[in-house]
Amino acid sequence: MNSILQTKFFKKNGPLISTYFLIAIVFWLIFLIIIPQLYMLDLSFRPNLPPLLRGGSDDVHTLVHYKHFIFGSETSTDAYNAVDVGVFINTIVTAIFVTVINLCFCYPIAFYMAKVAKPNAARLLIVSLVIPFWINELLRSFALRILFAGEGVINNALLGSGLLDNAINFISLDIALYTGLTYAYILLMIFPLYNAIESLDINQLEASKDLGSSTIRTHWRIVIPHAKAGIASGCTMVFMLTAGALATPVVLSSPNTYWFTQLIYQWFNMNDNWSRGSAYSILLLTVSVVFVLLMMRLFKVKIGEIVR
Amino acid sequence: MKSQYLLKFFLGVYIFIFLMYLFGPLIIMSLTSFNSAEFPAVTPWECFSWRWFQEGKIAYDGQHLAGLSTDWRLHDGLINSFIIGLGVVMLAVPIGMAASIVLTQVHSRLRTIFYSVSIMPVLFPGVIIGISTVVLWDRIATIGGEGFISDIGRNGIFLTILGQTCFISTYCFLIFVARLQRFDQTQEEAALDLGANQTQVFFKILIPYLMPAIASSAVIAFLASFENYNTTVFSILSDQTLTTVIASKVRLGISPAISALALVIITLTIIAAIVYEVLRRREDRKKKARQDQLLFEQTQDSRLKKVVTKSFKIPRSIFVTLFILIIGIIGFNQLVKNNLYGPGCVAAAEEVKRSKFFETLKLLQDIEVDEKALEGGELGGNKDYGDIFGDPNLFKDFGGFDTKDE
Repeated sequence: MNSILQTKFFKKNGPLISTYFLIAIVFWLIFLIIIPQLYMLDLSFRPNLPPLLRGGSDDVHTLVHYKHFIFGSETSTDAYNAVDVGVFINTIVTAIFVTVINLCFCYPIAFYMAKVAKPNAARLLIVSLVIPFWINELLRSFALRILFAGEGVINNALLGSGLLDNAINFISLDIALYTGLTYAYILLMIFPLYNAIESLDINQLEASKDLGSSTIRTHWRIVIPHAKAGIASGCTMVFMLTAGALATPVVLSSPNTYWFTQLIYQWFNMNDNWSRGSAYSILLLTVSVVFVLLMMRLFKVKIGEIVR
Repeated sequence: MKSQYLLKFFLGVYIFIFLMYLFGPLIIMSLTSFNSAEFPAVTPWECFSWRWFQEGKIAYDGQHLAGLSTDWRLHDGLINSFIIGLGVVMLAVPIGMAASIVLTQVHSRLRTIFYSVSIMPVLFPGVIIGISTVVLWDRIATIGGEGFISDIGRNGIFLTILGQTCFISTYCFLIFVARLQRFDQTQEEAALDLGANQTQVFFKILIPYLMPAIASSAVIAFLASFENYNTTVFSILSDQTLTTVIASKVRLGISPAISALALVIITLTIIAAIVYEVLRRREDRKKKARQDQLLFEQTQDSRLKKVVTKSFKIPRSIFVTLFILIIGIIGFNQLVKNNLYGPGCVAAAEEVKRSKFFETLKLLQDIEVDEKALEGGELGGNKDYGDIFGDPNLFKDFGGFDTKDE
């Protein structure tokens, strides 16, 4: 079977091009995608050893890093590793929250662009929405940092107008972080929604109106079911990127709030414990995969419809 | 009917607020790059100056803040980013193209699996791609021993190219898949029937057809590589790219030089967007003219013939540009008149701050330190923070190596 496939493949493309195809695809799928992830998975089950001891008798599979995540270090007396688990849960809950808020924000805009606005106005809106998206995530976060800093623009404006007596510390209250995360990936919610709503036949909307249904009911029964692939796609992208964000938390998080990726970064770069960093990465990856599967099940869409 | 208007009105207000939310921070950031104060702010406005684009300044307390043109770290990072971007384009575009063409040739189950694996990298957090690349190549470098393999396995630029290629190839792949969906396969068959071999078909038929997709995927790959942070920060090791330089600057303390850099990037983006839009409109107009012409030739109906009158029309965008220019000139004049621009203003502001700084310094020097207060005093004494610094176990679990307990 395999050899038949191969000869057919070679016949169809000619020897030169077939070789190029094979090299490119094997290199990408095997060496760039599959092997690194599998090796990281393996490393996460190994103890953190100095280079010379690797492959020796101590290099056995162990659950020590996952145990550390749940129960904390061996010297601590707490029942659970409250810090790490707390950061983990906080990251996921916040990411879900950000996703829902983004969905609510973007739905009216996407609907407006797709069905209400004139084609030229819609195009102009799209181009102007793309502009902030091409500006580096770090710089966008920096812009918010200027607004939210202790002596930043918002505080100065509020103090100057007499609305406040004392400056609000937006950064230590994490308001800056949440705003930044919502701000960072909002466009990845708009575009899938826009594409999905745009393909809806406007006659359906008019029919529903003629039959006497209210605006809300029209949206609930017609627009949203039609756009469910777009909703699933937007939610998945925003959740993934928010949960895996590093740039925004680096710029905007308060000194005592950690994002889970920052924890990974610490184990990896500052404490030089690569296997523990890998274990924590695997946890993050698991959450991502579970979320994608959940979305596919919930909205009954295929994976190809989510990524486009 | 009235409620319809009300609804539209609210929608308009909502969109306005939304756009403000998107653009407001960027506009304010751009403004701060012209303020000569060393903290990026709009209020209090010191002087209008270009210093953050040029040489930067030495602050009143001796701290050196580099401007854009004098910051060598930024320049190094920029060069590295360019190299990485080019490398990623060279790898990701061919990979994406090969994968998308092969996708059209495999069927049923294999196709589903192949497609799912190909789009997986987009769904991985970028952090994880960076880590897995570094971890794997460190192992390869260790096994490879001294020499070439060990060198490239620990070369940050090489690893970054590989890590970014992993997921940027998927972007290219998706662009190619979209283009190939509209490809007419009979063209290939016709060429084969006329005696071309497969290699010729590939270069003479497929590549020209895919050219627009190749161009757009190259641009997108380069931009995506250029602004990537999450993967790069792990895989770059000891080198620096533009984004990691920006990140370390932002973490160390915020300076208006970053605003200046952002303004440069914003300007470039806007120019690119305008050029793209203009080109697209011209293309549309051409296409429409061609269609009209075709219709006329088919029907020979004189009513359909459009007489093209050549007349010079002033594009509307000129007025907008003029308006902005006039506002700019008036505003600038106002600045000069109120002595808010030029070296005089900067020097005066500097003098005020310097004297304030020395006053505070003197005040601080006058305060005598009470030894007793240090012992157990409020915050800053040896017994503060629950005496955790007296705990001998404090640094035991520093995250070092897990060796077996003796």
